[in-house]
Amino acid sequence: MSQVRITGGTPAYWRSLAERADTPEFREMVRRRLGENVDWENLAPSTRRKFLQVMGASLALAGLAGCRWPRETIVPFARPAGYTPGVPQRYATSMELAGVASGLVVTSYDGRPIKVDGNPEHPQNRGGSDLLAQASILDLYDPARSRSPLSREIAGGAARNRTWEEFSDFARGRMTDFKSRGGESLYILSEATSSPSMAAMRARLQGAFPRAVIAEYESISRDNERTGAVLAFGRPMRAVYSLESADVIVSLDADFLGAHPASVAHARDFAAGRRNRDRVKANRLYAVESAYTITGGKADHRFTVPSRWIPVVAGRLAAEILGDDPGARAALAAYTSHPFMPRFIAAMARDLKCSRGRSIIVAGPRQPADVHALAHAMNAALGNVGTTVRYAAEEGPERPSHVEAIASLADAARAGKIDTLIILGGNPVFDAPADIEFARALAAVPASAHLSLHEDETSRACHWHLPRAHYLESWGDARAWDGTVGITQPLIEPLYGGKSPIEVLSILCDPSPMSGYDIVRRAMSSFAGADFEAFWRSSLNDGFVSGSAYPIETPTVRPLLHIPMRGAPPAFAANDLEIVFVPDSKVYDGRFAGNAWLQELPDPMTKVTWDNAALISPATAAALGVRADDVVALQYGGREVEIPVYVMPGVADRSVIVPLGYGRTAAGPIGNGVGASAQALRMSGAMGFDGGLTVRRVGRVHALSCTQNHHMIDLVGLRETQRRVGELVREVDSETYKRNPEAVRIRSEGEPAQLFPPHDYESDHRWGMAIDLDSCTGCGACMIACQAENNVPVVGREQVKRGREMHWLRIDRYFSGAPERPEVSHQPLACVQCENAPCEQVCPVGATAHSHEGLNEMVYNRCIGTRYCANNCPYKVRRFNWFNFHKRTVQIEKMMYNPDVTVRGRGVMEKCTFCVQRIEGAKIRARVEGGRPIADGEVVPACAQACPSRAIVFGDLNDPQSRVHALHVNARSYGLLEEINTRPRTQYLAKLRNPNHDPEVQG
Amino acid sequence: MSGHGHESRVAQGPQRSREPSPFGLAARFDSVDTFLKACERVRDAGYRRWDAYAPYPVHGLNDAMGIRHTRLPLVVLGAGITGAGGALLLQWWMNAHNYPLIVSGKPFFSLPANIPIMFELTILLSALATFIGMLAFNNLPMLHHPVVNSPSFDRVTTDRFLIVIETRDLAFDESRTRALLEAASGAEIAWVED
Amino acid sequence: MSAREATQLAMEMAERRSPLITGGNDFATVTDKICSLVEKPHPPRAWFIAFGVSLAMTGVLFAMIGYLLLRGIGVWGLNSPVGWGFDITNFVFWVGIGHAGTLISAILFLFRQKWRTSINRFAESMTIFAVICAGMFPAIHVGRVWFIWFVFPLPNQNLVWPNFRSPLLWDVFAVGTYMTVSLLFWYMGMLPDLATLRDRAKTKARSFIYGALSLGWRGSNRQWHRYEVAYLLLAALATPLVLSVHSVVSFDFAASQVPGWHTTIFPPYFVAGAIFSGFAMVMTLIIPARQFFGLKDIITMRHLENMAKIILLTGSMVALAYATEIFIAWYGGNPIERFTFMNRALGPYAWAYSIMMTCNVLVPQIFWFRWARRNLWLMMIVSILVNVGMWFERFVIIVSSLSRDYLPAAWGYFKPTAIDLLTLAGSFGLFFTLFLLFIRYLPMVAMAEVRSVMPQAGLEHGGHRGQGDYHGDIPAQHEETGA
Repeated sequence: MSQVRITGGTPAYWRSLAERADTPEFREMVRRRLGENVDWENLAPSTRRKFLQVMGASLALAGLAGCRWPRETIVPFARPAGYTPGVPQRYATSMELAGVASGLVVTSYDGRPIKVDGNPEHPQNRGGSDLLAQASILDLYDPARSRSPLSREIAGGAARNRTWEEFSDFARGRMTDFKSRGGESLYILSEATSSPSMAAMRARLQGAFPRAVIAEYESISRDNERTGAVLAFGRPMRAVYSLESADVIVSLDADFLGAHPASVAHARDFAAGRRNRDRVKANRLYAVESAYTITGGKADHRFTVPSRWIPVVAGRLAAEILGDDPGARAALAAYTSHPFMPRFIAAMARDLKCSRGRSIIVAGPRQPADVHALAHAMNAALGNVGTTVRYAAEEGPERPSHVEAIASLADAARAGKIDTLIILGGNPVFDAPADIEFARALAAVPASAHLSLHEDETSRACHWHLPRAHYLESWGDARAWDGTVGITQPLIEPLYGGKSPIEVLSILCDPSPMSGYDIVRRAMSSFAGADFEAFWRSSLNDGFVSGSAYPIETPTVRPLLHIPMRGAPPAFAANDLEIVFVPDSKVYDGRFAGNAWLQELPDPMTKVTWDNAALISPATAAALGVRADDVVALQYGGREVEIPVYVMPGVADRSVIVPLGYGRTAAGPIGNGVGASAQALRMSGAMGFDGGLTVRRVGRVHALSCTQNHHMIDLVGLRETQRRVGELVREVDSETYKRNPEAVRIRSEGEPAQLFPPHDYESDHRWGMAIDLDSCTGCGACMIACQAENNVPVVGREQVKRGREMHWLRIDRYFSGAPERPEVSHQPLACVQCENAPCEQVCPVGATAHSHEGLNEMVYNRCIGTRYCANNCPYKVRRFNWFNFHKRTVQIEKMMYNPDVTVRGRGVMEKCTFCVQRIEGAKIRARVEGGRPIADGEVVPACAQACPSRAIVFGDLNDPQSRVHALHVNARSYGLLEEINTRPRTQYLAKLRNPNHDPEVQG
Repeated sequence: MSGHGHESRVAQGPQRSREPSPFGLAARFDSVDTFLKACERVRDAGYRRWDAYAPYPVHGLNDAMGIRHTRLPLVVLGAGITGAGGALLLQWWMNAHNYPLIVSGKPFFSLPANIPIMFELTILLSALATFIGMLAFNNLPMLHHPVVNSPSFDRVTTDRFLIVIETRDLAFDESRTRALLEAASGAEIAWVED
Repeated sequence: MSAREATQLAMEMAERRSPLITGGNDFATVTDKICSLVEKPHPPRAWFIAFGVSLAMTGVLFAMIGYLLLRGIGVWGLNSPVGWGFDITNFVFWVGIGHAGTLISAILFLFRQKWRTSINRFAESMTIFAVICAGMFPAIHVGRVWFIWFVFPLPNQNLVWPNFRSPLLWDVFAVGTYMTVSLLFWYMGMLPDLATLRDRAKTKARSFIYGALSLGWRGSNRQWHRYEVAYLLLAALATPLVLSVHSVVSFDFAASQVPGWHTTIFPPYFVAGAIFSGFAMVMTLIIPARQFFGLKDIITMRHLENMAKIILLTGSMVALAYATEIFIAWYGGNPIERFTFMNRALGPYAWAYSIMMTCNVLVPQIFWFRWARRNLWLMMIVSILVNVGMWFERFVIIVSSLSRDYLPAAWGYFKPTAIDLLTLAGSFGLFFTLFLLFIRYLPMVAMAEVRSVMPQAGLEHGGHRGQGDYHGDIPAQHEETGA
């Protein structure tokens, strides 16, 4: 609840509506507003001038902008009762990505949404959010978004501005002659969605045009999981893990903490499971993977195995676990006889068997169906089903896999079977399998339309481009990983007159198109009880339909012998390289390539910004004779892509990892030409990984812009780094810790002597922070949250290369241990607010000094920019405005600035302030509410609020009951560089290591 | 000092005035030794309003002329003390009293941090006092002086030495003074016009 | 030993040594030689060429500064973690250069080193111009130059006062004082010579200008004796000042906590280095000057040899400081400190470190040999190399320390941009421009002082210069008026 309390406190606060909802004045207000009408279509901006009018309008319309009623009820700035200008309001909504929703809360200032966070009430997010959700606010205001429908005589030719009427005329014309043919040769291609409204609209369309084909495609698909489940259970099932109660977790090429639709929930549960001291056993994570993933980074034991041999690992592991059953042994013979036989498997199996019903085996979406089937079988055999692994039926059990869908659609197009193709979202021209040659197929379609935020590769290949409404602009709904239905409600009128997919479908099949609002209400009625309005209000208010999760089932696994498996992969030559396609940690499949925050965010593992690279192990690099930054040509399946090399310790030898989503050609000024397109090598037969890759040196060098240059560091520095890591990122043995926490106390002995009596902060608040390194996965959500909250500028590739990134909060990544078995540690580091701050004494003008609450404050308008403070900061967390980095910010993007935070000009030093604006806000609220004390957890900095694994805790150290106080006295806590007596207010909690002491694992 | 001279002259009243009167009698010397000896003689003859001009500070000339200590060092000392005190006061008032800031957990006032600036201001004020004091005591800048314009002054700033006895010296008597200067083997004895 | 003994000693040695002024000059010829440079209507062609080049470089400097102010500090190669690079390196370098001037004019004066008289004006001028170049850098290195006045204790809209705990603020006062005092010292020393120029003036304009500049100096002994007290006082004030200035500059580093900066040895180490580089610069300037302007009799081989000896001495002091630093880093047992020095010698900036070591430690050792101290070309080369080395010393201290401090994740590398390099070059342009103007329009040798050490000056009268300490009996009517 503390999470909830912090999200508001004014009558306009998103929760409080429920309390106000039944009052008569509220009813009156709603009635008053009905009947008002504004002609929105005329505001569709075509010219810049018009566009600015819209801006003005959308500001004036903050009524709706900050409001959830249908747009018909918008009135020019007539405020709801109790609404105070300048006081942020928070609304619950949800964002759908690849068919999975995450529950969000959006902060809105006078109708301008400025910040996205996790919905504390939402069963999946529980207040956490991932970096894609955090960064989505930037896409809303992206000036590169398309601003009106476009049409082309010939696909790929010059475009003309059109209006939505013209499109609906065109569409209606088409649809009428489809009516006669029952929708023959009408094709709809949409991205994956779990939206009930979408389902309803599809049903309507299918009803109207029985023979129309509706296909679904996602380039980063979880279809292998579906088919795996079909193999195991006979029908597609979705596994919902409860990591919190798992003692032993085995990941087979699965990045369930990083690249999983439920990663936010996973990260939180996994961390909770490790922290949980009541449990007899500490949890232990084994990761078997080829790429070095976030999950691998958290593993107690990580084994680097090429992706194509992970089936063997799965097979052998299954043999160990199901070995007693002769049928299973027979079915697994192919694996057990495979030449690849790593020693750790037996030990891993023993460990798993010791914790029956309290273990999980997770297989990655890259892995073939067999591996998933085996994982299901093993989980069942270990009695995990129903305890740590729960199953729910997948949506649309009959739909073909995404690859099949797009392939057959392309064939149909080539065969001239498609007369009209409507593409709702997605970007198949960019991300369809290369061998399908979707672009060429699309050219054969006489009439095509594409709905998307930007005029992207696909839009240009279609006859019509339709601007899509951002999820913050439109009505919608979607289901979270556990099936919870989330409602998407607009926080602002469409800035560029876009429409949502459901609205477009309505244009196609309804004589008088319905508004998104009506469609969603209609769809939701199926979930409602007796009183729909009450249900509607509370669901809107919560942001999701409570109790709408998928029903949990306990399917039985077929005997292995009856599962048709492809069997073990063949052995391969020692010099045969494999290519592994991974979703990018930032731009995902490329749809976020236009998002500057994400482009500039260093990759959690490589710390590369504004680029992707072929990640190869040092051994492989040596074998190929390439060094970091060398450009190589990847040749696979007769195609070739040139890409720079990043030498990544911990990548499986002979594996080449290529992140997807780069090399966009129509992603706007930000995303164009960033990185190389791995899509060009991705074939429908091998969407995950495949052997037979050849690497050729091009002889060119492309300097990647990393925020940490570990890969090009000299030997002197490398040795020293290795020496220091142990002190900077400390670790304790988790078994010992569980038995007796005090036994692991790692704080350096004794307080360093004080030259002067320390300043007395007892009388007032003493703000402090604690960061649990054991929980931190390094995902980077906190960095984006900080950037959004504090108006931190983007500096661009060249400046990052010079070492001038502006992130107030950075995540330091250190490798440790043996080079062939590197362990990675992430250390989020912002200003630690030293009590003896070295930066302060050296400032000649007193521009940085301590507040009486012990905050190390930066006075921007006093700063003259000597940079002396930054030099003297041992943590190097101060950031200098080398140029006027906000110069290029266009008007519309300025709407996104947080009005509580100064936008810093050129020549000024800046740094983390512990979100002082939030601290002051809380103090003001407390004062307004009769000078009540500020409750623990009432002040939460952006980073702590975003963190999925709840690694960051903030509070008042003077309050002995506060969580942060408890963590500061925790045995694992220590101060970074405490030996130089800076007395940091941020304390770190040491990582827990829970190794399996079995020699076979160690070896 | 000649300034004072004028005042004293006015004080002595007009009865001794010879209008228009020349400024004084000048004797030129070419060697340091004769110059020094001449100075001693003039000194012992009890002249007061006279001066000796040399292209560089001549050793022992002060003795020869009987010039006592100047009070310049006292002035400089005063300025130095002001500098030190002022600096300390300034720093205390600004950082510890008028607008104290919590800086690096240090006390608002601590002497060590203030010493460098105390030192610098001490030097600064002393140096200014030295220069300005020197000019003031020497009545500089003075853009016109009779001696400088007299022909006898030619090359005095290069390699000549000159003794000028002012007519308004109480002991001045044309014939006796001239005799004294000749006796002191001064060459080119001539009037310096006012 | 007492000043008197020192003088005696100096004089006796002066007898044995080659004379300070050679070529049978007397007051007049010396004066002519020196003044003719200022009085001759047309300076040598070399002057014009040099001046043209310097002026062009000065133009480059101002262009670079203009660009900097227009775009922002980002036009330099700086980054996080390296917040200071060429800017402060140049500052420390130029301040250091200045020190030799004050040393020659003040300290050698107190020690009664008569050989200083031929070169002190030269050195003092160098100080002034070097400090001008130095002062420029802290001023332009700040992010918001238009608010630079915040560093002065003036009332302002923030109602905040400067933070007197900051070494940077100490710098402001130290360098400010240094500039003022050096200027006073230089100008006061020049008064008698300006008077000489006034009296030799052929044209009305010259006599008016030099007359105004000389403030009506007459060279009367009643002026001389106060002048000499003042000169002694200024010398006595400038001596601790010059030591303090570079100490304070070194506090910028010593008072911080950056490994490689936080060292107690810095003040003496910096002062020695400053004098070292300063003398090298004097030599670099004076050798061509005495050639071109025929001052071989006034600035003799003996002067050059003495300077060479001082370079050797201070160079060895600097070497000792380097050694001590490394020893303490090892002996102190602070692993981070240890790494800093390992990294300096073997890390990414090893190239700069080796340049510094070669130029500052090895090269000057050649001055152990007399022939080397008397070979003009060699001296020229050595002095230039020493200047290069000393610039790199500051570069190594500042940049290599910053680039790798406590957290390896925050390490970086500084690469200068063209702007950095051109600004440095430009500062030399400014320096030489000012210097050439000085040579052309002001007496570059302190004539009055040179006269006083010439045999004709009547040194045999013994005793140091009278400070007005007359104790003889003076007739009743006789007392000093004026002072």
